Amino acid sequence: MNGDRAGAHADLFRRLKVLVVEDSGEMQRLLTALLASMGIGHVVVALDGARGLAAFAAECPDLIITDGAMTPMDGFEMTRRIRASDAGQAANPDVPILMISGHAGRENVTHARDQGVTDYLLKPLSAEMLYEAILAAVSRPIHFVETPDYRGPSPRRMLDPRRSES
Amino acid sequence: MANRSMTSHLAGHEAARGETPPDVRFIRVPSIAERKLGADYVAPIRLDPRVLDQMQSTIRTLETKYAEALSAQISMLQLLVEPSAKGDSEARSRLYSLSHDMRGLAGTFGFPLVGRFADSLCRYIENCHEEDWRDGSVLRFHVDAIRDAVDNPGTDPAITMETLNALERLIAATRGNRKMAG
Repeated sequence: MNGDRAGAHADLFRRLKVLVVEDSGEMQRLLTALLASMGIGHVVVALDGARGLAAFAAECPDLIITDGAMTPMDGFEMTRRIRASDAGQAANPDVPILMISGHAGRENVTHARDQGVTDYLLKPLSAEMLYEAILAAVSRPIHFVETPDYRGPSPRRMLDPRRSES
Repeated sequence: MANRSMTSHLAGHEAARGETPPDVRFIRVPSIAERKLGADYVAPIRLDPRVLDQMQSTIRTLETKYAEALSAQISMLQLLVEPSAKGDSEARSRLYSLSHDMRGLAGTFGFPLVGRFADSLCRYIENCHEEDWRDGSVLRFHVDAIRDAVDNPGTDPAITMETLNALERLIAATRGNRKMAG
């Protein structure tokens, strides 16, 4: 990577606002520390899906990183509401939503995709996996579909979970 | 949104195959990077090793703290098995929550075997019937395996695999017996 690109890269991360929706204190600490070490300029944390929705409306983040299993509202339901066409101003079809989950089953990944999750990261999380997923989410053009009920990443696309190599 | 929307190439392909229902629109918008840095932004070909080093250094910094927390969490798991077997729903919920945290975090902080045993324990609990809770033996074996993985990190991976397989066989046998009985 040449110097100019590295500079643009750092500049991009500095300008990003990321919403982390996570109920585990340990995981919150890990994610916020990793995002800080990437040079991400602004990180907002919410403790569950309902608070995540409120933070999303208030903060307009560029990217959402969410846990799957949370109470009272989980990350799947939060994603569904963000992608729902009838959610008015709160709806957003193109904000990338990265779900981090310990559930590797195909039914979980398919459910996440159908709600509008952009990328699915399997725990355990590694630095490389998180970095790659964020970079892919923010640097690629975004394609989405609009139907009467849904606006978001195509629910017909293949979504394979990212796995840590270790 | 509409002013930066355009028909995507994907839309063209799917439409040509006649697969696109009339009320579905395909839209392409610029990347977040292009929106922030301009249309001439070029995505990096590979990850910046300096950023990766910083992230890995952050994980190493958090590892010591996690190891201490993990030890305390395992002690708590050991305490929770008994009341869980006796029907204490709060203890059951706490036991699952701790296992779930271990499944997610242990591998990141250098305890991959703990993560694997915790994953097996979580999957067991997710399908646990009242008889399984009351029996408690599968829970106990898992918690012992987690403790052993922390106390003896140099254990031969083949032994670990055999322990995991043995736990799987035990779970299958327990559930098989219940089916036959019920």
